[in-house]
Amino acid sequence: MDAQYLALAQMAVGGGLMGMAYALVAYGFQLTYAAGKAVNFGQGELVMLGAFAGISLAGAGLPYWLSVLGAMAAGAALGWLVERVAVRLALKQRNEGWILLTIIVGLFALSSVENIWGRDDRPYPAPWPTGAIDFFGISVTWPELAIAAGALGIMTLVELAKRYTMVGIAVQAVSADPDAAELCGIRSRSAITLSWAVSGVAAAFAGTVIGPVTTVGPTMAAALTLKAFSVAVVAGLDSGFGLVIAGIALGAAENLSGYVLGSGWREAPGLILLILALSLRPQGVFGKKIIRKV
Amino acid sequence: MIAGLDLGLREKSAERILRIALFIVLGALPALWHGQYALGLLTLMAVYAVLLIGLDATVGYLGQVNLAQAALFGLGAYGTALAVQAGAPFYLALPAGILAALLPGASLALPALRLEGPQFALSTLSFATLSVIVLNESESITHGALGLSIVRPTLFTVVLDARGFYWLCLVLLFIAWWASGILLKSRFGLSVEALRDSPTATDALGIGTLRHKVLAFAWGSALAGLAGALHALNFGYLQPAAFGYDLMVMLLLGVVFGGRRSQWGAFAGAAVVAMLPNLLSNRILFSSLVGCGCALTLVPAIRALITRRVPSFRESAPLGAMVIALALAFFASNVEEWRKGIFALFLFAAVVGLPDGLAGAVAAAMHRFIRFTPDPLPQAAEGVMKSHTITSALPLRALKLSKSFGGVKAVDNVTLEIGQGETLGLIGPNGSGKTTFINLVSGLYAPDGGSVEIAGTRPVPGKLMAAFSAGAARTFQNLQPFSGLTALESIIVCQRDGGKPEAMGWLRAVGLEANARERCSDMSYGDLRFLEIARALSTRPRLLMLDEPAAGMSKPDIARLVDLVASIKRMGLPVLLIEHHQDVVAELCDRVAVMDGGRLIALGTSEQIRRDPKVIEAYLGADDEEAEVRDQKEAHAC
Amino acid sequence: MKVSRSILAVLLATSFSTVSMAADVVKIAITGPFSGGSAPMGLSMRDGARLAVSQINQSGGISVAGKKMKIELIERDDEGKNDRGALVAQEISSMGDISAVIGTVNTGVAVMGDKYYVEKGIVKIITPAAGSASMTQWSKAGVKDLPIFRFASHDGIQAQMVVEKALRLGFTRVAILHDATNYGVSGRDDLIDQIKKQGNKLNVVALEKFAIGDKDMTGQLIKAKAAGAQAILIWGIGPELAAVASGKEKLGFKVPMIGGWTLSMSNFIDTAGASGNGALMPQTFIEDESIARAKPFILAYHKAYGVARIPSPVSAAQGYDAALLLAEAIHEAGSTAPSKIKLSLENLKVTVKGSIADWKKPWTRWNPLNVETHEAFRRATTVMGKVQNGRVILANPSEKFVLEGTNAN
Repeated sequence: MDAQYLALAQMAVGGGLMGMAYALVAYGFQLTYAAGKAVNFGQGELVMLGAFAGISLAGAGLPYWLSVLGAMAAGAALGWLVERVAVRLALKQRNEGWILLTIIVGLFALSSVENIWGRDDRPYPAPWPTGAIDFFGISVTWPELAIAAGALGIMTLVELAKRYTMVGIAVQAVSADPDAAELCGIRSRSAITLSWAVSGVAAAFAGTVIGPVTTVGPTMAAALTLKAFSVAVVAGLDSGFGLVIAGIALGAAENLSGYVLGSGWREAPGLILLILALSLRPQGVFGKKIIRKV
Repeated sequence: MIAGLDLGLREKSAERILRIALFIVLGALPALWHGQYALGLLTLMAVYAVLLIGLDATVGYLGQVNLAQAALFGLGAYGTALAVQAGAPFYLALPAGILAALLPGASLALPALRLEGPQFALSTLSFATLSVIVLNESESITHGALGLSIVRPTLFTVVLDARGFYWLCLVLLFIAWWASGILLKSRFGLSVEALRDSPTATDALGIGTLRHKVLAFAWGSALAGLAGALHALNFGYLQPAAFGYDLMVMLLLGVVFGGRRSQWGAFAGAAVVAMLPNLLSNRILFSSLVGCGCALTLVPAIRALITRRVPSFRESAPLGAMVIALALAFFASNVEEWRKGIFALFLFAAVVGLPDGLAGAVAAAMHRFIRFTPDPLPQAAEGVMKSHTITSALPLRALKLSKSFGGVKAVDNVTLEIGQGETLGLIGPNGSGKTTFINLVSGLYAPDGGSVEIAGTRPVPGKLMAAFSAGAARTFQNLQPFSGLTALESIIVCQRDGGKPEAMGWLRAVGLEANARERCSDMSYGDLRFLEIARALSTRPRLLMLDEPAAGMSKPDIARLVDLVASIKRMGLPVLLIEHHQDVVAELCDRVAVMDGGRLIALGTSEQIRRDPKVIEAYLGADDEEAEVRDQKEAHAC
Repeated sequence: MKVSRSILAVLLATSFSTVSMAADVVKIAITGPFSGGSAPMGLSMRDGARLAVSQINQSGGISVAGKKMKIELIERDDEGKNDRGALVAQEISSMGDISAVIGTVNTGVAVMGDKYYVEKGIVKIITPAAGSASMTQWSKAGVKDLPIFRFASHDGIQAQMVVEKALRLGFTRVAILHDATNYGVSGRDDLIDQIKKQGNKLNVVALEKFAIGDKDMTGQLIKAKAAGAQAILIWGIGPELAAVASGKEKLGFKVPMIGGWTLSMSNFIDTAGASGNGALMPQTFIEDESIARAKPFILAYHKAYGVARIPSPVSAAQGYDAALLLAEAIHEAGSTAPSKIKLSLENLKVTVKGSIADWKKPWTRWNPLNVETHEAFRRATTVMGKVQNGRVILANPSEKFVLEGTNAN
């Protein structure tokens, strides 16, 4: 293959794989939005905390898999905490105070991480073999593949749970109409809390798979939140697996524009695309149109 | 409690006096507080105050989370810096900065227009990130990450030293403060607040979300540009990274902590943001501050405990945040390193426990201890309900209107006309499509088929403003009040002509004259229903549409309603009335249309439709046999 | 209420600070990045200086005009950010009782902040910042009387050595990668300048830049690889350097990295792991106990801070020696006034035995036409270091004598 095309393909593939991480974080948005129409503006911080939790557990001697599970458990607890502290009140008051409150909680989390773990970036110890796999001239590393596999895995698991377990169906009922669900005996509040906990699990897991590729540090949070948001909005906040497509597209677009235009311009096309998508189709490419009811 | 201290002052005058006093103190401070560093802080505070007053326009008044302000600040700064580099004098460099922020800001409002809540926040965030990227990458112009240095030009041959520049900033801050106050408390400001509370109602009543969103955003951007210009001239060195998300969060939190919808709040927030690093580096000072915070947040929790109640989240969470801050004050090895976390804790306490911020809390306290002379209410004008001018065209001509949602045909091929001065009732069981019909006519939805003609004009389908311009005005089945406004303000913001006396007149017409100064969020359900009618009337429509105005009303209120609609009839104004209360319909309506399952099944006088078997069936159901026979007959007839 | 109370409190606090404590301390400020990507350098510099100061204080302090004075350190974190650095410099220069400042790692911070010191005449020893611009800005401005000194091997020297090494290793095609900060950009400029000066024998086949915070260098590396680069000449700091090293590994692009001294930073070495081995960089100090002169300092540092490895050995040693030189200058000046200290630094009489070298009058009277008058290091005092298994060692063992000897001026 022509070297130039190969280079472009390399950039696109690497970006696309990374984009699946964005999709996973965006999936967390989807879960909480479905339940209570609220999203965590500090989701990136949750990802970061999950990664640090994983690093600390691994540092304490736990094998990789246990550290990932431990991180996920931490993610669930943190997700619950964010809901309890930042979201519940706003939902009760039926306003959008959760936007600010989740930003605030995220800020506190960032500050805590800076002081507990330090401001430097750290490598995430993962047992993947070093070196790259060659697919027709394109190099892919094991951690990158782990991102893709992990993201798809978690999303599939949760979607299956949503459809085939009683709890999952109950949560779906609450998403559709919280008042009606209450009338049927489903505690909406528990369903919402559960969604936030699962969203926390998704975020923490994302941290443990992103960490080996990008290293872990306080600065990873902000960039991630925006990118995951872009994916969520472009795909649509209720689009299910549409997120994966949007994530791959955004990741690939980022890398390609960085390569072609220069590394500083990486994020630009994604952002322009986002603004356009928001103006032309606010419900997202795959989302359902919102019907205004008065 | 202490009886209010009566100063014989109106609140407005008191505020004005305080403001002037504040600026005098600020101006005099450099004489008392020596040192370049102190002056630098004060100047920074003044610049941030301008910036936050601008941010408040969107965050406080529009009620949207605007994440672009820091970037606009940066654009303004670079605009001025580049102008200075190009040799522009002081008096041109400032406007250059304003324009550099105003133009992108206003153009951002256009795509952000249709968005609400998190999507709006996200589009502003994208814009902000893009701006920083552009500033970083345009190295040939901005020197990118290396930064841009400029030398402050002279102001009309006067070399401004640090103190002089500070006073200039104070002057500009004063102007920005004063102008914002005027703008945001005028009808424009009320419209912006109305827009925040109910965008649907603002469009339906012709106030126009587009115009106001763009203007509010533009005003905020212009102030960001001014602040940026001052910042560039003050600091002399700019770097793109300084205007990123970190700063934006600080600004946002400053405006919230200080108090939204208040220039005082913006100033308080600016002071906190500017002074924060210093407040933290002195541990004793900081600990005492947190101690006060703990004490203050303890009050609501104790109050709850005294009444033997478990303190709610709102009462206990701020205390929890303050306790964590106190722990940090004592145990953290370096308090300054926890800067962001501490700010977050204070903010959390403010957002949860003090939703109106510092300024709001102070204002509330002031109201408790001082009694201000209320603003005089004007006398209600007479004769607002004057005769409605009759046009030649029919008030309403709906022709073969259809609308489906997914598989459901909400409105199916409905043709309906309203004659001059006619009151037409529209009834039918729940889910028959009545509200959807009104939504089609008023422009909330675009029909899938058919057309709407209002007073001879065919408005662009699906546009609330277009239907309004053609002459439609409506009330809503689910109330859409402007909760942040008072009853009087709600009318002022809607009315087509006249001033306060006319607005009072409209209130009197619906019996709400006594509630003029009452905030909508405090008004009773029944009163709000009447207010909605007054709002619609004040726009002097050619067609008035009332969607279940009597729903949930008490018996006496229903009687009042009937009288009101009767007087509207006497005006000659055509009315489309959706109602379930059959007696109301019978008394008021000249004709009645009946819908069922999206279709118009009957049209006639009250008497006629009461006896119509199809209507009876629709409401009460029918014998299966009878229904089958009739359906077969219908199928054969064509 | 809270706002006015806090203004009042700040007023009180700052008014207290102008009342100086007991007159037998000399106040020295240390500034640098104690957080962020440059933190290992800042922290090591600070710790090295702290070590020197505590040793001096333990032996009674500096003898100033017959009176023994202890050194009090005021520390400020500039986070490696230019605007923060400017604020820090403003704060320190307005304190009124600071005699001298040691510090700064990031060139941009020096460019932005040092003007406040020059304005007030406060002495500053820049270490370990290497960007040429930190000093050339003063000769460009034509400043006559300069209180700023540099105690580090500046980029001019380092770029010269990097190009020499590349040529000595027989390369003809190189890629230049640099970050977007003042440091990276001036490094790039110095490299290109040196290539020209050394006969234009190196062909720069790729010139790429990256931003602080970039994690994925695949794009830049693909271009370098496709152009056939035999080595990467690189100017950046720890985290990004590590990203380049691992990115190189991923692409199977096995060429050496030769670059600025920042390749010795612990956060590069640790994060890059095995992919960092073989990186070459100029060093003024190697953490090697077999070097007789360096040994006492290394042992003392390890003991004082409980570490087995200094995060940035060059920064630590330079911070240590700079503090020693400053103390000597204060002693010889017989005063804590910055103006006297400055003169003393330019005319050091006693040879100061440091961890890096024996310093004999490292600086002379400032001459705006010759920046070297306020530069302490020369080419001859710098060696090439190499990353090997988590440490920095001498690339060329035969250069050991340089680290043992005195400074050649």
